[in-house]
Amino acid sequence: QTTLTVANWLPPSHPLVSEVIVPMTEQIAEATGGTVKATILPAPLGPPGAHFDFAVNGVADITFGVQGYNPGRFRTTNVVELPFLGESAEDISVAYWRVWEKYLQPAGEYDQVKVLAVFSHGPGEVFLKDGDPSATDVLKNRKIRVGGGIVHEVVSALGAVPVEGPSSKAYELLSQGVADGITFPYESVAYFKLIPQLKTAISVPGGLFNTSFYIVMNKAKWDSLTEEQQAQIDSVTGEALARMAGQMWDRADAAGRAEMEGKIAISPATEDQMAEWRAALQPLTDAKLAEAASAGIDAEAAHDMLAAEIAAEAAK
Amino acid sequence: MNHWQVGILVLLVLLFAGMPIAFALTLVGLVGVISIIGMQPALALLGSTFFDSGRDYSLSVLPLFLMMGNFVVQSGIAGELYKAAYAWTRHRKGGLASATVLACGAFSSVCGSSMATAATMARIALPSMRKFGYPDRLSTASIAAGGTLGILIPPSVILVFYGIMTQQDIGRLFLAGIIPGVIGVIGYMIAVRISVALSGHDLPVEPKLPLKDRIMALKGTAGAILLFVYVMGGIYLGVFTPTESAGMGAGGALLLLILSRRFSWKGLLDVLYDTMKTTAMMFFILFGALTFSNYVNMSGMTTDIQAFIETWGGNRWGVILIILAIYLVLGCVFESLSMIMLTVPVLYPIVAAQGFDLIWFGIFVVVVTEISLITPPVGMNAFVLRSVVPDVPIGTIFRGLVPFVAIDLVRVAVIILLPGLVLFLT
Amino acid sequence: MPETDPSSGKRPEPVPRTLGRRVLAAVCGTMLMAMMALTVCDVIGRYVFAHPVTGATELTEMMLVGVIFLGLPAVSLDRDHVAVDILTDRLPGWIQPWRELLVSILSAAILGVISWRIWIYAGQIASYGGATNSLRLPVAPLGYLCATAGAVAAVFMAVVALRDLRR
Ligand code: NA
Ligand code: NA
Repeated sequence: QTTLTVANWLPPSHPLVSEVIVPMTEQIAEATGGTVKATILPAPLGPPGAHFDFAVNGVADITFGVQGYNPGRFRTTNVVELPFLGESAEDISVAYWRVWEKYLQPAGEYDQVKVLAVFSHGPGEVFLKDGDPSATDVLKNRKIRVGGGIVHEVVSALGAVPVEGPSSKAYELLSQGVADGITFPYESVAYFKLIPQLKTAISVPGGLFNTSFYIVMNKAKWDSLTEEQQAQIDSVTGEALARMAGQMWDRADAAGRAEMEGKIAISPATEDQMAEWRAALQPLTDAKLAEAASAGIDAEAAHDMLAAEIAAEAAK
Repeated sequence: MNHWQVGILVLLVLLFAGMPIAFALTLVGLVGVISIIGMQPALALLGSTFFDSGRDYSLSVLPLFLMMGNFVVQSGIAGELYKAAYAWTRHRKGGLASATVLACGAFSSVCGSSMATAATMARIALPSMRKFGYPDRLSTASIAAGGTLGILIPPSVILVFYGIMTQQDIGRLFLAGIIPGVIGVIGYMIAVRISVALSGHDLPVEPKLPLKDRIMALKGTAGAILLFVYVMGGIYLGVFTPTESAGMGAGGALLLLILSRRFSWKGLLDVLYDTMKTTAMMFFILFGALTFSNYVNMSGMTTDIQAFIETWGGNRWGVILIILAIYLVLGCVFESLSMIMLTVPVLYPIVAAQGFDLIWFGIFVVVVTEISLITPPVGMNAFVLRSVVPDVPIGTIFRGLVPFVAIDLVRVAVIILLPGLVLFLT
Repeated sequence: MPETDPSSGKRPEPVPRTLGRRVLAAVCGTMLMAMMALTVCDVIGRYVFAHPVTGATELTEMMLVGVIFLGLPAVSLDRDHVAVDILTDRLPGWIQPWRELLVSILSAAILGVISWRIWIYAGQIASYGGATNSLRLPVAPLGYLCATAGAVAAVFMAVVALRDLRR
């Protein structure tokens, strides 16, 4: 029997752990008839950003994390983090996996590991302490808390002032008036207990941004498994795992939205806002696709396929 | 013996052989991890631990709080605090010693370190107490004990480390330290009265000052009060975050130093050199502790201990009493930071599993660590006093500390029995 | 008796007048003052100009790492690493320098291994162009700097122990 160690930097109650990583370990055990067991370590081995290299170097056998925690490393991720891509994390994640296999994998960014899944969080929306949510200049000069990745640039492009800080500090920044608002998926607003701090929300059709995640495995450990075991694990990871993760984020977003009922007024972005924001974000989209293309991939084709696959999934 | 028991034994041997704590922790952690996941992965983890762990914005508060304390020490605020405190206690028996405790508490509110508090107050308060014929055992003990409040009353370097190791909010930990800190001040003033009553010395008493004069005497404390209100008020009202409060506080302390007209470029360089060295030294202990706790994590030690507690009955208060006993014993031989680094990574998951609040546990840990600073044979604050007055035998200082340690044990009991008191402000 | 205060600075001792220490004090001191100034400017900028300093977070993080590692050679030179000396103080005098040498060489060796691994890790980061979030500053050079400073500190530790043995 082979035992795989899974490194975890989140609290065990986090849905990414309890509803994706734990079921994944169970499915791996089941698919391999119990010949491969995966156990989750009780405490983090290091900061979240170190986890991709933990898998590369065999510090743990399976790790998961956010590509954006390693700025500069994953240029192909830009393709899926763009604005206005889709409403459902499941659709985006499944489409993202297919695009990754066809267009993004050849860039070689993941060559040092075995990729079990790449997937996306639910779309990011705008949440504010106050202000008229239908005004086109609702974000002008507002201080918006941002984390890493594309959000910083999205917020700047929309005329807001980005306030940097890790998500664990979002409550601090909002409750102390350091920030006037935040761009987050519904799930994260609820998870970080920000609902009492916020009054209005703008749900942007297709979302303002997405956050990309990975689940990867140490290559040597993967190669040490039999071909039969590899096939068994492949049957429960890849697109299946991306779908499971996307579904989890969708459920979490729905729960977060339900929790906001009566506390945060959510209104859809107006036609005027969308027209203005699309125009404001187009240069950013072009720049991000150019950055992705610099990794040696056909970024335009990948972007088109992503949009087509998301539409196909959404139509189901 | 199983895997981790051997690891702990080897660690203790290395520590008692006098190996620097940072490297003893790293060595045992590294060898332990190698034996579990192999040479190459373990070495990769070592590089990541030492390079990635420091690149964390919330850790920047450590050097900045250290710098703030060093600026405050240079600004001469301690003397003003002492004068003001004495105006309020001079008509009581042992008034100078009570004033010392009060001034230590006040100084702790702008300085994050116990030894800095004790060393600073020793230079200010000892000469006066000697002049008025206070017995050495009372005067040295009141300073050594009062100084321990430096790590409980915010800001506190030790609470920052605790917060980082257990992922607890540093702002909440700071707020939680205030009430137990005030209880500490009151407790030590009671200990002073007990010491005075027991010593049989006829200590001089000065006539009571009129209220107006007592209030006037507070004028000199304005700088310290402003700095404390500015830092804690800034956090409480949300002008800046707890993380930012360190930089803002250091800036405020520098301003205070410049206004006190004691600023010099040479003094500034001394402060910066000292802050740099202390930062490097503390962070290497932290990195060593992280390396060691990776070994603890992989070796299954936490699970083993939890299983042991469950088989043994698992009464949660029994767990706390055992932890208290462990700290009192370790506190005799270890100094504060190393003790916290060694124990907290192992103990906090166990305590959390028993349903205790980790903010409360942080305050509990700091209060028992305060005791370790004044118990023999290794009591760092007693050593500080000894180095300021080399003519007083260390035994005299420790004997003088007996009532203070006794009062501290009462304070620990209060904290265990009334956890709501700790969490009231948070 | 341990002279150092692990939970920080007693009254800061005067900086010894050697060139190396003064340079370290000046370089790290500048970074410490810059960390302080960045926070103050960030907070003031936020309120007065509604414009925080871009990259303040990541600049602070990088300077913190710089202070930690550049401070290390000074810790080694001044023998300020914290150790438990309750038992070792009771050993006969002639043993002390030898015990000190053994412990220092072992510690220096570990520090050497740490530095070597940081160097390799920095190479890994360089290979994929690891950078900071907003300002896109490359991270690898910082790693090489830390590895070098760590190696220097390791050498200092061994040299100080050998020097004491000769006395
Ligand atoms: Na303090
Ligand atoms: Na002690």
